Amino acid sequence: MNAQVVRLLSGVSVHGDQHLAEVERDLVQMDGLLDEAIKKLCASFMAIHHVVDQQQDALNGLLAGGMPATECSARFEMLRGEINQHVGAAVTGLQFQDMTSQLIGRMVQHLAGLRDVFDALGTNAPTLPESSNESLLHALNHISERVGACCNELAGSVRSTVNQRHMESGDIELF
Amino acid sequence: MAKTILAVDDSGSLRQMLAFSLKAAGYGVIEAVDGEDGLEKARKQTVDLVLTDQNMPGMDGLSLIKALRGMKNYQSVPILMLTTESGDDMKAMGKAAGANGWMVKPFDPARLTEVIRKLIG
Repeated sequence: MNAQVVRLLSGVSVHGDQHLAEVERDLVQMDGLLDEAIKKLCASFMAIHHVVDQQQDALNGLLAGGMPATECSARFEMLRGEINQHVGAAVTGLQFQDMTSQLIGRMVQHLAGLRDVFDALGTNAPTLPESSNESLLHALNHISERVGACCNELAGSVRSTVNQRHMESGDIELF
Repeated sequence: MAKTILAVDDSGSLRQMLAFSLKAAGYGVIEAVDGEDGLEKARKQTVDLVLTDQNMPGMDGLSLIKALRGMKNYQSVPILMLTTESGDDMKAMGKAAGANGWMVKPFDPARLTEVIRKLIG
């Protein structure tokens, strides 16, 4: 009888731990992605600001008549190219929202799963009979099965779909 | 006339980034919020290329690709998957469904447009 109770409690602990471990993993991954995204976006912002300053200098030079128009035109084209490059880097960084949103969705599912595990023990669990050991064992087995079923059901549906650890652009493969 | 790309993704910010990058490269962009929306829009107008996410509520990317390949006017339209998924098993499923390529997020605008230019000019 005690062994059954211990087994039930272990089952709850293991299933609960699994959910929490997944949530912890996703939070760590999200933290890393957000940190990189913010760093890249800051770098892009500063770089764009710097190039815009250079554009203004070139414009001032043109207005002051200090630089030939063709040379100015080439300079402006070069600066535009630089801005496009930095904007591209910012676009890559801005995609962190999509990935972190998926990770949050997965965490929410695991937390719901954790709630189901506790729910199996709580108000929806059969009333534990006081009189007979056999009935008590039966009730405990039923609870244990429900806890296991909850976790199996969730495990099949909550895949890890975001493996990125860094905000670097991903592979492209043409078939 | 500018080539048109159908961009299917349930993430609003991702669609915004795609539209910004593709329009800057000279393409027209039609946005769809999920697989079913994408299929409906593809039926209304035949586009030159489809970019689709995989994990979307309702109809996912693989199902969308299969549905499009079942349409006469989408037999040879290039379809690219753009997704966080990077596993070989998923790529194999994408290829079997009829995708022409697999791109892992986050995308780099310059590389994305380079690939698209190779496919549709």
